Amino acid sequence: MNWRRKDLLDLEVLSADEIRLVLDTAVSMKEVLARPVKKLPTLRGKAVSTLFYEPSTRTRLSFETAAKILGADTASLAVAQSSVSKGESLLDTAKTLAAMQVDLVVIRHASAGAPHFLAENLSLSVINAGDGQHAHPTQALLDIFSMREKWGDVAGRKILVVGDILHSRVARSNAVGLSKLGAEVVLVGPPTLLPPEMDYLGVRLAYDFDRELKGADAVMMLRLQLERQRSGLFPSLREYNRLYGLTQERLARLGPDGVVLHPGPINRGVEIMSAAADDARSLIETQVTNGVAVRMALIYLLIGGGTADVVA
Amino acid sequence: MLWLKNAYVVDPIQGVSGVRDVVTRDGRILLLGRNIPADRLADGGEMEVVDCTGKYLFPGFVDAHVHLREPGQENKEDIASGSRAAVRGGVTSLICMANTEPVIDNQALVELVVRRGRQTGLARIYPLAAATKGLRGEELTEMAELQECGAVGFSDDGRGIQNGEIMRLALEYAKITGCPIVSHCEDAALAGQGVMRRGRAAAARGLAGIPATAESVMAARDVLLAGETGGRLHLAHVSTRGTLAALRAGKAAGWDITAEVNPHHLILTDEDVPLTNSSFKVNPPLPSAEDRESLLKALADGTIDMLATDHAPHTWEEKARPFAEAPFGMTALETALPAIWTYLVRPGLLSVERLVEAFARRPAERFALRAGTLRPGAAADMVLFDPDYEETVSAERMASKSANTPFLGRTLRGFPIKTWVEGRLVFER
Ligand SMILES: [Zn+2]
Repeated sequence: MNWRRKDLLDLEVLSADEIRLVLDTAVSMKEVLARPVKKLPTLRGKAVSTLFYEPSTRTRLSFETAAKILGADTASLAVAQSSVSKGESLLDTAKTLAAMQVDLVVIRHASAGAPHFLAENLSLSVINAGDGQHAHPTQALLDIFSMREKWGDVAGRKILVVGDILHSRVARSNAVGLSKLGAEVVLVGPPTLLPPEMDYLGVRLAYDFDRELKGADAVMMLRLQLERQRSGLFPSLREYNRLYGLTQERLARLGPDGVVLHPGPINRGVEIMSAAADDARSLIETQVTNGVAVRMALIYLLIGGGTADVVA
Repeated sequence: MLWLKNAYVVDPIQGVSGVRDVVTRDGRILLLGRNIPADRLADGGEMEVVDCTGKYLFPGFVDAHVHLREPGQENKEDIASGSRAAVRGGVTSLICMANTEPVIDNQALVELVVRRGRQTGLARIYPLAAATKGLRGEELTEMAELQECGAVGFSDDGRGIQNGEIMRLALEYAKITGCPIVSHCEDAALAGQGVMRRGRAAAARGLAGIPATAESVMAARDVLLAGETGGRLHLAHVSTRGTLAALRAGKAAGWDITAEVNPHHLILTDEDVPLTNSSFKVNPPLPSAEDRESLLKALADGTIDMLATDHAPHTWEEKARPFAEAPFGMTALETALPAIWTYLVRPGLLSVERLVEAFARRPAERFALRAGTLRPGAAADMVLFDPDYEETVSAERMASKSANTPFLGRTLRGFPIKTWVEGRLVFER
C-alpha cells in the first residue's frame, strides 16, 4: 500500500494497515542505522524544521537525527513557553515557516490540537511530537515497534500501561495504536489519575497493578510528574511507589517473554526501581534507537516517496 | 401608523396564537384583532400597510444575558455594534453584563451604558451592575444607587462568587432594590484549568475537563441561600442536571428563583467540539448529551424560565489559537433565534408559544422591563419572522464586530425579516 497522508497528527485516523506500513518501513530504516555510514541521499534538498514549545531535547534530537540521516536539512526553532503569551502567535509562526519553504514541521506543544491547528493552516507536512495530554503518535509507534521487534506481532498480547493515565498523551496514543493492532491494553493507575471517562478508549481500566500483572506481556511505565502530588492527586511518592512502582518482584511476575517500556526520562525509585529499569527485559534503551528508525520512516513517508521501498 | 395584516401573532401574555392584524400608532400597539375593518382606522393619519401573510409577528425578544464589552473592550464589541446585532437577531431589549474594563460597579458607568444605549436608539439596553466591587467577590456594590441609575439587577457574571457568605449578603442586601442577583455558578477549584465539559469527549481530546459539579455545587448553594434569605435569585446559563435538581427543589419550596438556558446548550453537546475550532469553547461548556436532553425538557416544562444568549464576542485573533489558549465565549445575538428555530422549533422540540414566553415574556417579567408583549398600549417592539427564510451564517454579514459562533458556515432556516422598536423600523432583511 502507499502512504497518502500529508500529516501525522494522531493514530486515531490511521488504519491498522497504515500503522503496519510505518512499522515495516521503520524495519528498513533500522537496518540503515546499523550501517557504518549512516547517511542516505533520499531527502536531499528537503527542509525539516522542529518547533518545540515544550523543552524535550531527546525527542527533538531524535527527529533531527532521523531527518539528517535521510539527507534533509534541519533547523530548530526553539520557542520558550513564555513567549506564547506575549510573543508571536502560533499562526504567525506557521506563516513564517511556510514562507521559509520548509517541507515538514515537527511540533511539540503544551496545548492539545496545536499540531492539528498548524496542519489546517499550512500546506506543508506536520508531525505531532506531542500535544498537551492529547496525543504522541511517534512515541506510540516506537513503543509498538519495539514490542513487535521482540515478539513478531502484538496481537493477542496483554499490555499494561501504568501510572498517570489522565495526563498522559503516551498512554492515549498507545492504547489507540495497540488496540488497532489487536493487543489487549489495560490502563492501570490510582482512580485520581485514571478517571472513568478514560474508557472512551474502549480498553479496560484497573486500579490493582498486582492483579493485572498476571498474564501480562508488557508493562509500560509512565513518567510521574512530581507536581501531581502537590495538586493533591495522590498522597505520597512512597504510597504511589508501593502501589504502582515497578519493582523486581513485580517484574518477576511478567509472562515468559515479558518486556518493560518507559517513554523516558525515567524517575528512578518513583515509577520504576533502578534494578527493574536496567533489567534484561527492559527495552528502555532499545526504545531510543527505535525512535530514530520510526521517525525516519515517518519523515520518509510524509515527504519522501510515499512507498515503503526505501532507497537501499 | 402601521397596519400589519394577516400575521400569525404569538403573544402568551394575552393568550394569543393565531392570525391577527396589529395596528400601531405613535410607537405603541393600538389594536390587535381579527380582520380589523378599515373604517376604524379612518382618522389615524398616514397608514403604512404590511402584508404579513405566512409570517409570524412576535413581541420583540428580550435577552437577559449579553456581553456588550463597552467600556474597555471595544475591539470585540461596543454598545452600538451590539445593538445592531441585537435587532438583526430580533432582540429589542437586552440586559448587558458588568464584566467590562473597568467593571460596571459604579454609578457613572451604569449611566454611561444607559446613555450610550439611548444614543444608539436600536435595542433597549439595560445594564446589570456588578454585585461586588471589581467582581472581586469581597465587598458589595452600592446596589440602591446603582438601581437608581438604571441597573436592573446585580451580577459578577464571568466568574462565580466563591465566598458563600458574600453571596448570602448580596441576596440579603439586594432586597432593598427588589432586583435579582444573577448568579454565574462556577466553583473555581472544581473548574480548575478545564476548558470543556469533563467526560469522554474531553478525555479523547486530551483537554482538561470542567466537571458538571463545578456548576451544580454552587447552584445548590445559591438555591439554599435564596431559600434562607428570601432573596431573589436568577441562575445564569444553567447547563447540568445537578443544577436542574437544585432548581426544582428550590422552586418546589416556593423560593424566589428563576433560571435561564442558552440556546447553544440546547443544540450542541461536548461531542460536537472540534479540537481546532475554539468558537465551540464556552463557559459553562457544551453539555453532555444527557444534560442537553434534560435542559430541553426543563425548558419545555417551565423549570427553566427563560432563554438568554450569553452573547460573548471575541476577536478573531483571540480565538485563532489552540483550544486551551482561546478565551471562553460565543456570539449569539444574530444566530440565537434562527438556530432555535432550525434545531428546536422546526423539529418539534420546542413550541413557538413556549419560545415567545421564554425569550420575551419571562425575562421582561423577571427584570421588570416594559417589553415582551403586543398588548394594546405596550411599546410597539415587534419582530416579523419568516419561518422559511434561509441564510448561511457568515462573518461578512454579521453586525457584531465578532463572529465567534459555532454556527458559522451553517445554513439556518427561519429569520427575522423586520424588527421595530417603538414602531420604528430598525432592521430589515
Ligand atoms: Zn456567565
